[in-house]
Amino acid sequence: MIELYAITSHPGPPLPDVAPLREIERDRLSAVIAHIDEEPVATADRLWHHERVVEALMQSRNLLPVRYGTCLPDEDAVAGALDRRREELITALEFVRGAVEVSVRVFGQGSEDQRDASDRNRSGADYLREKARRGHERARAVSAVHEPLRALARADAERPATLDRELLRSAFLVDRPRVATFSRLVAALQASHPGLQLLCTGPWPPYSFAQR
Amino acid sequence: MTALAEQDVALIDLLDRLLGGGVVIFGDITLAAADVDLVYVGLRALVASVATATEKGVLPELGSAL
Repeated sequence: MIELYAITSHPGPPLPDVAPLREIERDRLSAVIAHIDEEPVATADRLWHHERVVEALMQSRNLLPVRYGTCLPDEDAVAGALDRRREELITALEFVRGAVEVSVRVFGQGSEDQRDASDRNRSGADYLREKARRGHERARAVSAVHEPLRALARADAERPATLDRELLRSAFLVDRPRVATFSRLVAALQASHPGLQLLCTGPWPPYSFAQR
Repeated sequence: MTALAEQDVALIDLLDRLLGGGVVIFGDITLAAADVDLVYVGLRALVASVATATEKGVLPELGSAL
């Protein structure tokens, strides 16, 4: 069985020595793959290993990361998948060329009500008030953090914020030469908004911008 | 919310990306024979307890649990 790591342009530089990788080439596209004996499982260790491989590839290539857990029976099936999706993959690859992904999440302070919520019966009115307060807090985080960062990015995306006090979960596609500037702006925004907590990770392969 | 350790912060971002992002080659995903969305939801539900799990160096093998 074959596990897919990334789609990239062909020809490219030599494959990194982080795993027994192979490249399956079709015209100007190639898939970076590994032959595996067992289907991948979703453990933290396996996910980090997969990530390290894609990051090593990203050092020297433009690429589209493939969703974890994507397996095909053999090399012919990989070539077939490249053929079927060729135009779409080339377009997506062009879109992310020369850029990396940076994650920025924003947390608020929460309210007194929220901090006490676990040991209180809350009324419907309390619930609605809390919901409105969170909505306002989120809108402020968008204009205070997301908008200024978006000005430095090639593209932006949002995922649902699901953690307690989490207001915003954003992803930005940033030109490689601009990552340092982007990072400095994150630090400056944190300094000027002490009521918010900014969590920035990256650079990641462009996972949030791989489907166009 | 108590402060998340750096590793846990990054793990959430990792889950979002590897399991919720990337190129999807439709119909070709087999993640331990489980539906990827189910695995995603299962892993995210565990994020709250990840701090403890990673301290022990063990994360439950969700692939086989689902």
